[in-house]
Amino acid sequence: MIGVELHKMVRDRRTWVTIGLLDALPTLVAILLAVTDLGPRPGTGPAFLSAVLADGKLFPLAAIAIVLPLFMPAAVAVVAGDAIAGEAQSGTLRYVLVRPVGRTRLLVAKLVSVVSFVLLAVLVVAATAYITGSLLLGNQSIAATTTSVSGTALSTQELAGRTGLALVYAILSMLGVAAIALFLSTVTESPLAAALGTLAVLIASTLLLTLDAATSLHPYLPTRYWLSFVDLFRDPILWRNVGRGAGLQAAYVAVFLAAAWANFTTKDVTD
Amino acid sequence: MTPGRRWSCVVLALALLIGLPLIMRALPPRDSAIGASALLDRIDASRDSSYSGYVETLGTLQLPVTDRFVDVGELFGERTRMRVWWRDENAWRVDKILATGEVDLFHDGGGTTEWSYEQDRGKRTRDPDIRLPRTADLLPPELARRLIQEVSRDAVERIRVRRVAGVAAPGVRVRPGAAQSSIDHVDIWADPTSGLALRVDVIAKGDKTAALTSKFMTVSTETPDAETTIFRRPPGAEFVYDDTLDIADAANQYAPFRPPGSLAGLKRSPSAQRAVGIYGSGVTKLVAIPLWNKAAEPLREQLEATPGVQSVAEGDVLRVGPLGVLLTRIEGYGGGWLLTGTVTKSTLVRAARKLDARLAQYVVTVGPR
Repeated sequence: MIGVELHKMVRDRRTWVTIGLLDALPTLVAILLAVTDLGPRPGTGPAFLSAVLADGKLFPLAAIAIVLPLFMPAAVAVVAGDAIAGEAQSGTLRYVLVRPVGRTRLLVAKLVSVVSFVLLAVLVVAATAYITGSLLLGNQSIAATTTSVSGTALSTQELAGRTGLALVYAILSMLGVAAIALFLSTVTESPLAAALGTLAVLIASTLLLTLDAATSLHPYLPTRYWLSFVDLFRDPILWRNVGRGAGLQAAYVAVFLAAAWANFTTKDVTD
Repeated sequence: MTPGRRWSCVVLALALLIGLPLIMRALPPRDSAIGASALLDRIDASRDSSYSGYVETLGTLQLPVTDRFVDVGELFGERTRMRVWWRDENAWRVDKILATGEVDLFHDGGGTTEWSYEQDRGKRTRDPDIRLPRTADLLPPELARRLIQEVSRDAVERIRVRRVAGVAAPGVRVRPGAAQSSIDHVDIWADPTSGLALRVDVIAKGDKTAALTSKFMTVSTETPDAETTIFRRPPGAEFVYDDTLDIADAANQYAPFRPPGSLAGLKRSPSAQRAVGIYGSGVTKLVAIPLWNKAAEPLREQLEATPGVQSVAEGDVLRVGPLGVLLTRIEGYGGGWLLTGTVTKSTLVRAARKLDARLAQYVVTVGPR
């Protein structure tokens, strides 16, 4: 079942169009930076973007910081929102469930497929950014050290290790979005409604984060720790928010997956 | 399993997930039998303690700021997140955590280096006697140490224990004895074993909520590794040395004034012997900074545009929470005295009147700037 869903996801043209669109923005930014040589002022713009003109090896991180707040969650919401609702809308859900597979197994297979999409999207964006960053941006030699946020030197191995951790964290950060969208996908038969519902939750979360009156809610909002991957580049690493971010995503996944299971396994499927 | 049971399982799991941490947090910590004076003594004695941790401060004071006072405005008017490694007063590091970078202070016996990631720049300065407040001053142990200076043991009382950074911390309330003070009280919670101040709340007269809170979110009393507090210049980064740290240091070094020995009934601090005067002690502090025209006029414009500002004969006066600000005019010199501190408006006006009336006495060299 999982193999079937993965195969479907990889062969689906929409998967690659979505990843291509995700990839286009950081690539455009790299080209513009290379042509104009104008980086954002220090302290403005996405994390690490002001540093990439000197050190192109940091561009995968800048690319993740560019897509993580809006484009990546939108893509995940569309893909995960389509998982069950898409089958229902196209009238194939009934036939899928006719096969000797349990609904829980189907739900798990859909979740694995969505997680694999997130993994694929993050890796493609990071790999493309590494190539464009190395070719177009800061021409520091590959053996040269990179400066951490705290001003200490990071060797190439340390930079690679921390970049790997940051990519894993970015993938983790999207799991909560996937779980919310998957749940909504079991509630509605419209993939669009599931995706828009998920985006509404994320927009509300982002808005509440700017409000001092909502300070007590901040640690529980799904977008609160998304950009904490920057903490992996402090020296010593600041694990506090990274750990909380991972824990929060785990809680969102547990709650919304349980809700999706409770809803989907008892749902009347007519389409 | 029936639909009802399935949903019951989900609701139960959700309730446990949300409820357990809330219940753990709501459980009252065990109080300590330590008295107020003894706790204050322990806090005072902890000045040589080593510690490290993660600190959050929240200031609610919307001060009128210009380019030269931006850092102070942020410090007292916003939420600041810091990491600290404190070996002793001659070896410490404080990082101000920003969303996309950080601004770090590395201190050793010879001075302080400020590292700004976003500007890719290090700046080394000496540590002047007089300077504007900086992040390290708002760490709970440092803030508490300053606020309890010369506090009478009669002016303190015990308050309820509170869990701070996982420690059941007994609290002490300090009320200023000076009538000039604009502060109603300061609440300090400390580790009962080490005496390390873990949380400080400053409450202004007439207010119920804290104007400034500084607290540890995580803390360790182990001595941090020496390597962590040493700054090593990153390759390729700009590095500068500066003779003057900030506007208060510059005024103190170069302004041609000597303020009087006392202002509005507050005695001048022995550490302030040049152009900038620091008066009072502990919770009640007044600072008089002579500003030249270029620094004073933008501040005056900001001050005049701030809601609640009052124009009096001595200048423009404003109270923001416990902080009072008054900017005078110095005829013939341009600029004016910036009087600020945790004192009442009437104290500021009295101080300005005295500075104005005896101005000629403080002028060492005369010449408009």
